[in-house]
Amino acid sequence: MGAILNEIWRRSPNAIDLLTTKLGKLELKTPLSVASGTFDLENLEFFDESCLGAFVCKTITRYPKHGNPPPRLYETEAGLINSIGLQNPGLDNFIAEKLPLYRERLRLPLIVSISGSSISEFEYILSRLETCPGISGYEINISCPNVENEGIAFGVCPDVVFDLLTKISPMTSRELCVKLSPNVTDIAQIAKAAESGGASSLAMINSVWGMAINYRNGKSHIKKGVAGYTGIGIKPIALALTYKAAQAVNIPILAMGGIYNWKDALEFIWAGASAIAIGTANFVNPLAAPELIMGLGEYLLENDLKITDLIGKVSF
Amino acid sequence: MNNPQYCQRAIQYREELSDDYFILWIWDEVLGSIGRPGQFYEIRALASLKNASNVQKIPKLFKPISIYDIQGGRIGFMIKKVGEGTTALSKLRSGDMLELIGPAGNGFPIYRGKRILLLSGGIGYPPMWYLQKELINHNQVYWMHGGARQGDVFPCDEIWTEDGSIGHKGKVCDGVAENIRKNEIDIVYSCGPIPMLMAANEIISQMGIEHYCSLESYMACGIGVCHGCAVPIGSKDKWDYLRVCKEGPVFNAEEVRWELF
Repeated sequence: MGAILNEIWRRSPNAIDLLTTKLGKLELKTPLSVASGTFDLENLEFFDESCLGAFVCKTITRYPKHGNPPPRLYETEAGLINSIGLQNPGLDNFIAEKLPLYRERLRLPLIVSISGSSISEFEYILSRLETCPGISGYEINISCPNVENEGIAFGVCPDVVFDLLTKISPMTSRELCVKLSPNVTDIAQIAKAAESGGASSLAMINSVWGMAINYRNGKSHIKKGVAGYTGIGIKPIALALTYKAAQAVNIPILAMGGIYNWKDALEFIWAGASAIAIGTANFVNPLAAPELIMGLGEYLLENDLKITDLIGKVSF
Repeated sequence: MNNPQYCQRAIQYREELSDDYFILWIWDEVLGSIGRPGQFYEIRALASLKNASNVQKIPKLFKPISIYDIQGGRIGFMIKKVGEGTTALSKLRSGDMLELIGPAGNGFPIYRGKRILLLSGGIGYPPMWYLQKELINHNQVYWMHGGARQGDVFPCDEIWTEDGSIGHKGKVCDGVAENIRKNEIDIVYSCGPIPMLMAANEIISQMGIEHYCSLESYMACGIGVCHGCAVPIGSKDKWDYLRVCKEGPVFNAEEVRWELF
């Protein structure tokens, strides 16, 4: 399964343009990206990276993080529960070891996902990454449900989101994409706060609060109890929040949450997404990404449309 | 080590064992030559997302299944019907398609000139079969296996069942200390449920015997990406969550932080 785009290209000389989309400062070759923490270089053993428009790496924090105690996973009737807890090697190790690997291997834009426990920590991480070549943008993760006093502590309060973005947006000319949580009262307010603070795009949604219990003995399937819920079950939630945010802001949205195939992708684009990402589907179907792009390309060719014709054009 | 690959292969034939256990065999020159004892594949009955909306069903996750045997260009997976994923696998017949991601993880370290005890419980049996074939040429190998009842035990040197229906009555760990003394064991390899491995570790570490265990864990990706299968590994003061699918599934039992499970 390689050279996906060549196949679409072969069928129509203009086909490549059909899939091109903009995510803030970036022009993406295809609207498809990957959700942070669900995809890494190992996945590129399964297919050619040319079907992706951007590569989002697992979230990095200032210091290494152990992550949460096991069990961390449980597959429900409709989607996956996870409690990883942002396990990562920390900023220094990322810059020394992981980033060179990405630079060497990738031919597409790298978006580095970062999280912090204070505004100054976000500032510090960004200042360090600004000195590193090979990065096209940042995903500011203020929405991980599995760590306390970090990530989501920022993402639920519009004033804090505004403060954070006001501080960090002048620091970079790279793409600045803010990852929003669904676990908030009013997503539109948070989205507006990110936009007016200087974010150039939004990524949404991160996982929804979720839980799973063994009905026989009452034991939680996840050691920490409440965890993050992703996959097919959260698709309608993600779709509604994408629509609400798209109505509230002018910056583009990278949408995710229960996207498995090209039909799901189209729904999100109609709702207002400029790009979409596959997360849990990567675990369920190793070829989800190339199959999605093939399907999307065929749909656009058959209907003589471009991605940009559809964004936010949902009708009622 | 090469990264795991994804492929689809037809089942050549299936072998019925006792109760809920069966073996799926695939004839393939590549798969039938590259896997090491202790490595595993993420496998699943072929389920296409392309048709997902037609049948209103999204496929479930792959299941990690260790290599039971590799011989003559064939690879075998011995499976126990437990949950939804393995039940779907249990319905497959020869000619049906399997999806595979692997070989994943690191195998057991292979020694020569040692007195070795293999210790398995329940569905911990399959990787031991492949391992003993490798070890038997250059070592003295003893194999103890235990299960809940007769249907959970398979050929080996010493059988234990909890209900006493065959072999010794009790848990397989009850006989470990005596076996190690009697056979002057140098190294133990184990595979089974976590509580069994914990009990085994307590006995074996007290006797100061080297011990490698293959851990099982719930997995999503199976290729080291999601960190969902991580377990605490290291010294008491300095440990980290390592991935069963990538750094494991075989760990030195001394380095597993059992108290943190």
